[in-house]
Amino acid sequence: MASPTTIVGNIPFFGRMFAVDQSTGLEDINAWPALMIMTSFIWLAVAGLLGVVMPLVQFLDLGPLGPDLYYTALTGHGAALAFPFVFQLMVGVGLHRMGSCRGQPITGPIPALIYIFMNAGALLLTVAILFGLKISLVVMYPLPVVGVQTGQWSMNVVILGFTGIALVLITMIILYPIQVIKMAFFGKARQELLLSPRSLQDPGMLGMLMAAFVLLIAGIPLLIVASTILGFLYGIVPPFLASWAAETVVFQFAFFIFAHNLMEAMALMVISAVYATLPLYLADGTRKLYSEPLARIALWILLLTSLTSFFHHFITLFPNLPAALAYHGNIMSFGTGIGSALSIFTILATIWKHGLRPAPGLMAILLGFVLYILDGASAVVTSNVAWSFQLHGTMWQSGHTMTVLVSMALMWMGVLYHHYPVITGRQIDEQLGNLFVKLCAVGCVGGAVVMLAGGAAGMPRRFADWGQGGWMGYGTLILIFGLILGIAYVVYAVSLYRSREIAGAEFNKLLVDGGWGTVR
Amino acid sequence: MLDFLYLNGWGAMLMVLFLFIPFLIIFVYVVYKKSTGQGSADSASSGLSTVEWVWMALVLVVFVGVNVISISYMPTVQTARAAVDEANIQQVNITAGSWFYDISTPLLINGSNRTVEVGPVRFSGTSSDTMHSFAIYDPDGDVLFTMMLMPGNPLKGMKSALKGPTSIVYTFDKPGTYTVRCLEYCGINHHNMRDQLIVVAGNN
Repeated sequence: MASPTTIVGNIPFFGRMFAVDQSTGLEDINAWPALMIMTSFIWLAVAGLLGVVMPLVQFLDLGPLGPDLYYTALTGHGAALAFPFVFQLMVGVGLHRMGSCRGQPITGPIPALIYIFMNAGALLLTVAILFGLKISLVVMYPLPVVGVQTGQWSMNVVILGFTGIALVLITMIILYPIQVIKMAFFGKARQELLLSPRSLQDPGMLGMLMAAFVLLIAGIPLLIVASTILGFLYGIVPPFLASWAAETVVFQFAFFIFAHNLMEAMALMVISAVYATLPLYLADGTRKLYSEPLARIALWILLLTSLTSFFHHFITLFPNLPAALAYHGNIMSFGTGIGSALSIFTILATIWKHGLRPAPGLMAILLGFVLYILDGASAVVTSNVAWSFQLHGTMWQSGHTMTVLVSMALMWMGVLYHHYPVITGRQIDEQLGNLFVKLCAVGCVGGAVVMLAGGAAGMPRRFADWGQGGWMGYGTLILIFGLILGIAYVVYAVSLYRSREIAGAEFNKLLVDGGWGTVR
Repeated sequence: MLDFLYLNGWGAMLMVLFLFIPFLIIFVYVVYKKSTGQGSADSASSGLSTVEWVWMALVLVVFVGVNVISISYMPTVQTARAAVDEANIQQVNITAGSWFYDISTPLLINGSNRTVEVGPVRFSGTSSDTMHSFAIYDPDGDVLFTMMLMPGNPLKGMKSALKGPTSIVYTFDKPGTYTVRCLEYCGINHHNMRDQLIVVAGNN
């Protein structure tokens, strides 16, 4: 098998952006992350194109083809965006952080399996979607089976799609957490790879570890349920053994316990990355947060409150849900807001106390954090039992999902700007980096507010006829802000493509200033 | 005012803006002011611990206040209130399928069995195939409520031991034609899954 460095080097355009610098001796922490990050951006391009298709088909009168195209694009867009783009980007940059902070190589079979399972799984799901499977990002179980019974698609594409989903789940629930745990607790640090040493108690590392355990623990029930159903579809598990897993209520609980905690785990990881990166850009060179204990408390509160706040997914799913459980989900969701409030304070106090050295990467991170708070506000409001009954199933929920994914992607893209010189030996075009942040600010905030407003106006999510309730105005604005966001991503890609090579003293100075230490 | 805040999507939007805009103003101000590279650590840090406590107290007061007030708007509380205030809660049964509603109401007016009177109505629903929802839009286009309708096990002929019909009580206060929509994606004709409910003035 070709090495990841070779594969990156052989890919046109995207490969140029992420070509690994082989002269530094850091290939063991750079190669797999570079390949994962590069591939995540290919998926972003796919997701972006499908994202534009959704509003476009609403404006064009395509007859019966319109809804067909819309629901295909809807399923493909969500599937490409959430897992092979955002999650893979997070894994790539996250593992690079882990490697450089713990002095651990990212080599061996697990990183290879992470890459293969994630992308092969996403590819199989995409092929199934192209052959007619339209089940949306969240599967909508038992729609896949009912779709076969009602002649919407064939059982073969369900099996293909479920196989792809299973591979993606194995990556997120098993392989990635094991790799993080392995790098955190096992193996001896290699001094030449230890660029920015951090203990596991460091707020910049703690969230990474918490996230790995959350994914592992919250994901196992879904993996068991999904494996049982897939085994039944393949004819391996007999119906009487698969029956319990096929219960809609069982699947929904297992799914949302994982899906909800997946988002919270991703939040823990990215907030940790913010805590690690912000101090490196302080004006007075302090390189310390305002208060590390406060930052750790924020992460612990976020972890503890988010774990059981998944009950908010069941407020309208089971209006008969005991009021105490519904309210527990409500209160725990607001509890995550307490964690966020502490993060806000820590970040602002750090900036206030030490000043800021603005750079495109840091500004992208801070903009991503602003979006994260906007999303958090929308999330806690819709988690309130009273509001949930007006908002669930509307564009509000899509606005929430899109905003959380885009905000986390934006923070990781900012962190990637910081890691980029170490991986590639090149420095980004700062002017383009700044333009990316400005365009993102308009596209992201505008898009989020419009989608929330559409939801407030009753615009349904995952709905192929926006004209039905007079919601086309919101659709037009969603398209406009989506295009601005798309342009921002193109600018980001060009900022990497046009990066200039840095070497010798200049490279060392950049790394020292960036808090990496000297590596050459 | 509180009714609008807690029983309308735009009330929710107002709450998001209430939570977000002050944060945005302070965040942008701090980042802009401190982006000059002129860090003044000694003077700027004084009083931060007091601000920390004030900030957390403010967050707690807002969060607790918002949620405590919302309790009286929870459907379970509304249901209990309706049960106490009104002896007769009208019963509407719904069975959803791809892509239709089978609705049975107590009244049959002008041949329509989709009619209820102003007052409390208990909606009890289930699904015969996949996940659907039952959302009612008032004549102005605002969502009054939505509830999801969950089917049983597709491998066991849609019967499930784990669930019964979901139900909610809603009190209508004005006559009109209300639109019913499915808000849970349920397949390629999802957008056409809609119906209507006519609310007429009561005899009382």
